[in-house]
Amino acid sequence: MSLREEFRDWLTANLVGDFEQIRWRGSPGDEDGHAELRRQWEQKMGEAGWIGIGWPKEYGGRDCSLMDQVELNEEYAAHGGPGRAGHIGETLVAPTIFVYGSEDQKHKFLPGIRNGTTLWCQGYSEPNAGSDLSNVRTKARRDGDQWVIDGQKIWTSLAHESDWIFVLAREKEGSKGLDGLVFLLVPLDQDGIDIRPIRQMSGGKEFNEVFFDNVRTDADNIIGEVGDGWKVAMALLGFERGASTLGQQMQFRGELSEMIAMAEENGTFDDPSIRARLAKAHAGLQVMRMNALRMLRGTAGPEVMISKIFWASWHRDLGELAMDIMGDDGEILADGALSRLQKIFLFSRADTIYGGTNQIQRNIIAERALGMPKEPRGKA
Amino acid sequence: MAYPFSDEHQLIRESARGWLNTWYNSAATLPKIHDGGLGVDLEAWVDFASGQGFAAVSISEAYGGAGLGQLGRAVIMEEIGYHLFASPFFSTCCLAADLIEAFADEATKAPELEAIAQGAQIIAFADGRSQPAGRIDGVLDAGVADKVLLALPEKDVIALYLLPANQFDISQNKTMDGLRNHCSITYDALNGTAFAQCAKADFDAVLRLAQAALVHESVGGAQHCLDITLDYTAQRVQFDRPIASFQAVKHRCADMYIALESARSAALNFAAAETHEVQEAALIARAWCHESFFKVASDAIQLHGGIGFTWDYPLHYFFKRARHNRALYGTPQQDYLQLAQYLTGAGSR
Repeated sequence: MSLREEFRDWLTANLVGDFEQIRWRGSPGDEDGHAELRRQWEQKMGEAGWIGIGWPKEYGGRDCSLMDQVELNEEYAAHGGPGRAGHIGETLVAPTIFVYGSEDQKHKFLPGIRNGTTLWCQGYSEPNAGSDLSNVRTKARRDGDQWVIDGQKIWTSLAHESDWIFVLAREKEGSKGLDGLVFLLVPLDQDGIDIRPIRQMSGGKEFNEVFFDNVRTDADNIIGEVGDGWKVAMALLGFERGASTLGQQMQFRGELSEMIAMAEENGTFDDPSIRARLAKAHAGLQVMRMNALRMLRGTAGPEVMISKIFWASWHRDLGELAMDIMGDDGEILADGALSRLQKIFLFSRADTIYGGTNQIQRNIIAERALGMPKEPRGKA
Repeated sequence: MAYPFSDEHQLIRESARGWLNTWYNSAATLPKIHDGGLGVDLEAWVDFASGQGFAAVSISEAYGGAGLGQLGRAVIMEEIGYHLFASPFFSTCCLAADLIEAFADEATKAPELEAIAQGAQIIAFADGRSQPAGRIDGVLDAGVADKVLLALPEKDVIALYLLPANQFDISQNKTMDGLRNHCSITYDALNGTAFAQCAKADFDAVLRLAQAALVHESVGGAQHCLDITLDYTAQRVQFDRPIASFQAVKHRCADMYIALESARSAALNFAAAETHEVQEAALIARAWCHESFFKVASDAIQLHGGIGFTWDYPLHYFFKRARHNRALYGTPQQDYLQLAQYLTGAGSR
């Protein structure tokens, strides 16, 4: 039996009972529902050895190739596997620790991720450090064998469900930009941490403000050296592309299928303008798939840089099309709450903002893929 | 290696590109071809097709070809599009070759495909399916062709004829593009018999894939437009700085790059498609690539300012080609409506 078949059988056998309610749930825009069930599901995945399958065996992984991981992600999405509570730990923290962490750090942090028992969130953005991330002002200072952190992070997805946060902070007093930064791993369960949910335009509360007031973490919970913060933070973002891409596309495919079914049912499919837009959305998905294959199977060139802006813009358009298909019915909150398609419409406004806005993506493409001159910086 | 190509494809690309860069310098050559009036660079074609052997790229090995398939064809068409090389590669090595390969019997197939592979003949394809008897418009390369492959509706089938070009009255149309041999042909009676009769659906399927080779030309053309725009905006100085440093210009170039690379993915998705999905992939590529080429060519003119609007600067040839490719076999909007049939019921996956 292939790994893919083994995984499929496992999903069929286990994504049942209480977990049935979280099938197809928990993607971005829907991450705040069923927190406890999703936490349990994460642990179930861990117990069965489906987390960290690309890791070396000595750390509890299965040494799977990238294409194997891609396949399992596709299988998971096709099955309606719920948005993974542990995805930040598995896809961002773990790869960073493998590359920049010490052996002690690997043994300390990887098991919690691997077993689905430790959930992570990302402490990057601040009120004055959004697109200009290097403007972070959260401070970290050494006090004996600990780091002490003071400041504020914002737009921190799932902080309220998480156990640990990784923090980009300024260690060197008076430093600016990329210098003087540290990358710290910080436990959230302590006095001095104040997590305040932010209610989004979609009604949910996935994001938070996280305040740090004399917050402490052990001195050896630093990844990389003092001053390496920017390098580590950027490397972590680089790990975001990869195995989960095709899984995300399966989710998109599911959304589009639901829209096509709805259009057939309510008669809007007979409208050529709607039909053509649905077909174009379908074409866009095929383009995305080939973009991903070029990235995963070939030697990736600068064309990978179009990936974020392409899917984000595509998904935003999809949300608008969904509402045009629904017409006035799109106004109705059928069960008193937003449906999946209504959520896509509202939440996809965030897709073109988080993880690098469309404007920043265009700067990146222009400067790094096309070699155009860099943006001048202001003299603040 | 860049997926989905092999080393062999890469070698072909390098050699075609090298040949075109030396022989077919667009700045000097396009006006000359245009003013020559024929819309085909025959001298260059002979060397390209038979001297260099590029006519053989996607012909099966059994018939003297290189057997590099759709991906090999993609490489050549893309390089042709990059330079707008006025060649009969598309009509002869794509349209005619595919129809002959699919529908001719062995006795016809072998000599015809071998002659195409050797660069020894040019065949124009005349689509008589929805035209009045005795006259067919929109026949590419008839004015330089040795033979015409004619498709005519006969009762429930499509009859295919392969006849000497001198049996037809051929008049070349003056076109906006000016770099294609775009003809109308007329005839009184056909002096010959059909080499094949095929079901309409089978014919449509083969022709659609053959026509889709044009998507690669659009990708190559779009790449050219972006390249010269990057060069131009880097050297053009206004307000004491290169205009490439302005965000309005950078972001537009980024959008051109997104259009180009997504079109390349759509084209490769077609060229590498499995049999069960290739028809759908051809439609997607057609809609996406020609629309992208048109967008990139339009943006290129805008970012060049006045110079982009002049006759002496070559951009207008690309803009006009983008327009023509977009219209040749249906607009993107029509392609999407056709694609919609794959979204539901039997066509959906």
